[in-house]
Amino acid sequence: MFLRLVADSFARRPRRKLLTGAALALGMAVVTAAFSVSLDVGDRLAHEFRSLGANLLVTPQADSLPLEIGGVDYRPVDAGAYLPERDLGKLKTIFWRNNIVGFAPVMEVPVEAWTKSSQSLSAPAYSVKTTLIGTWAHQPVAIPDGRSYFTGMEQTNSWWHVDGRWFRDAAECLAGKSFAARAGVKTGDVLHINSSGKNIALTVTGILSAGGPEDDAVVAPLQVAQQFAGKPGQYRRLYVSALTKPEDDFARRNPASMKPAELERWSCSPYASSIAYQIKQVLPGVDARVIRRVAEGEGSILTRVRSLLWLATLAALLAAVLAVGASSAASVIERRSEIGLMKAIGAGSGTIGFLLAAEQLLLAFVGGGVGYALGIVLARILGEKIFGVAPEPSILVFVVILGLAALVTLLGSAIPLRRASRYEPAQILRGE
Amino acid sequence: MPDRRMFWRIMRRLFAAQRGRLLVILLALGAGAALSAALLNLQVDAKSRLVREFRVFGPNVIVAPRGAGGSSAGLSTPGESTLDESVVQQVAQSIPPRVTADSYLYLVAAVSSSASSQPVSAVIAGKRSELIDRSSWRSAIVTPRGIKNRCLVGVKASEQLNLQSADRLMLQAGGREESCVSEIADRRGDAEDSQIVVNLDAAQRLAALPGKISLMQLSVTGKPREIQAYITALAQKIPSADVHGLRQFTDAEAKIYDRISGLLTTTTALVLVLTGLCVMAAMTNVAMERRADVGLMKAIGGATRRVLRLFLAEAALLGLAGGVVGAAAGLMLSISLGKTVFGVAARPRLIVYPVSVALTILVAIVSAYPLRRLASISPASVFRGEA
Repeated sequence: MFLRLVADSFARRPRRKLLTGAALALGMAVVTAAFSVSLDVGDRLAHEFRSLGANLLVTPQADSLPLEIGGVDYRPVDAGAYLPERDLGKLKTIFWRNNIVGFAPVMEVPVEAWTKSSQSLSAPAYSVKTTLIGTWAHQPVAIPDGRSYFTGMEQTNSWWHVDGRWFRDAAECLAGKSFAARAGVKTGDVLHINSSGKNIALTVTGILSAGGPEDDAVVAPLQVAQQFAGKPGQYRRLYVSALTKPEDDFARRNPASMKPAELERWSCSPYASSIAYQIKQVLPGVDARVIRRVAEGEGSILTRVRSLLWLATLAALLAAVLAVGASSAASVIERRSEIGLMKAIGAGSGTIGFLLAAEQLLLAFVGGGVGYALGIVLARILGEKIFGVAPEPSILVFVVILGLAALVTLLGSAIPLRRASRYEPAQILRGE
Repeated sequence: MPDRRMFWRIMRRLFAAQRGRLLVILLALGAGAALSAALLNLQVDAKSRLVREFRVFGPNVIVAPRGAGGSSAGLSTPGESTLDESVVQQVAQSIPPRVTADSYLYLVAAVSSSASSQPVSAVIAGKRSELIDRSSWRSAIVTPRGIKNRCLVGVKASEQLNLQSADRLMLQAGGREESCVSEIADRRGDAEDSQIVVNLDAAQRLAALPGKISLMQLSVTGKPREIQAYITALAQKIPSADVHGLRQFTDAEAKIYDRISGLLTTTTALVLVLTGLCVMAAMTNVAMERRADVGLMKAIGGATRRVLRLFLAEAALLGLAGGVVGAAAGLMLSISLGKTVFGVAARPRLIVYPVSVALTILVAIVSAYPLRRLASISPASVFRGEA
């Protein structure tokens, strides 16, 4: 009988039920879309923030003071400590290895450079003082488990724009924009580099514009710099670009003073500082530091965008409550005579409330389900349009949406339902 | 004017007749207006907050000497590539109203303290920060008073020198000497960790380069396109220097700004449309209850158009009332919401108010529109209870 009443109610007022259901489905669709995007936005934006470049810097622990200005170390090659290049594969063995997007070792050598063309333009002995930055462009790194992984400046410093192409072997290099203008170097020229008695000729494969001190330098493969410095297989600094979680107070605590349980939780969160800690454990004799300027900016912006999106989700939810509430209020008012009749023939307030609530719940599940399906499509379109990647549909969202739909309909109809249970049947039936 | 008097009389009656129904409609419209006003205001505000937030990354525009010797050569022989300090004035006269400008002079000096036995060579960065502010009435360059004889020692440098806070430091370069009291800087993870930051004047004395700077770092707040335009303009204004954006940050900022503003715009648009539709659904539900009224009016001789106009006018009035109250509430709401998101109260944008009121009226009218269908039914069927 109960089921029959419910079914009857749907059959008798298909349009009204459809309208309420549609409002609910629409609301839930927007909530689903906003919810999926909010869940996903952290990861997506973290990827975007990687275009800021490295957020971790690895240097030798026992080192002399770097003479570093704007990211270029001007120490002579014989000063300070170096790190072995062959250990770098171990970076991909740490717990957060999949969060490491890329890394690039760097070594600078002060050099003099000249080309044939600049020689013909001015005095024969004319040469230009500059810095040779040795690094990786796109280098295969052997990982201890046998695979190899390609990384280098192309990943970490994505803002570097090369007019031409990157160097591929030890006979090629890039010329920085200002250096090229100063020394009259063009793509395809042969650049003679001279430092501490060694002489190497490199073909310029591209002009680099980086917007930093690299614009005034020659960028070459790491092994070229190693040859000049006489430090084969070594590097001076390592830039690591990693996907991280915004740091909170917990993240900034000193791991040395933590209890074991805390330390576990700390190192199982991809904070920049915990990744730095793990790098220190896997590479002996290094000091890994978080580049605060990059990491902090990232954290604060991410937190804000996320809370803005949650607000939008909440707003969508409120709008849905509004719609469902108003329409169920209207439906209860409209069904006064029906309620009166039921009461007159002996139904209690509880039974009627239960009947109406059951109707609303049925509506909620159907509307919520349809809304979820719509919302997933919407989230895919949104994600693909904005980030180029669609968020994964998740079961969690589905469960949450159904729960929310039920909550919203019950909340929205709570006041009218309470009023309905207080109706005096005699009055209603008399038409008052 | 009996016609108009009658119109208002009917209006009053309509409003007075069913208080409960009126409350539901006003609530729906008002809440919708509040929601859209709050969201619109937050959205407009968030974009401008975001560009300010980007300045956490620090300076984004560099003014450096043009092509002279390069920074490496500049380091070994500092005189080779410097700018005149007057460049600060030139920057100050340029476009954006508020810019923080840091002038730097770099040199390498032998640093010793009482704790370290041997002098260590370190990069000394002479720094002067200036706030160029042309937005206020006094249009000035504000140079904060440098704390005399204080130097900010980077973490790495302090470890190397075995330095405590408030130790006395001796800086030596080319036979010249300066001394200062140390203060340990926070760990930053970049080049400044190994530098010692002193007053620009002290660095100029030490390098024997009075009135010269190595470079200027500007922290320009603005949308990526504005920053690009500013860089171009500044480069034209100061041909003697090389003005360029710090690509690492300007590029990433542009990219991230695009993404985030796209995200905010689409979510806001979605929620606005949804709010509109939901308010409409609620209103339509209620409006359909007016069948009896429409039937009665038609029965006593009201022309369909006039009856319809009456109900549309009613809806517009309700929309206006709900919008005026709701949008105001929404703006208030967004101020406090802005506080929770950005830590600073969101500035209410005046444009948001009329826009959300207009939107509410529009939604109210559109949702009363289904009444048109009632115009085609015959009054008799309404009274018989068939419609």
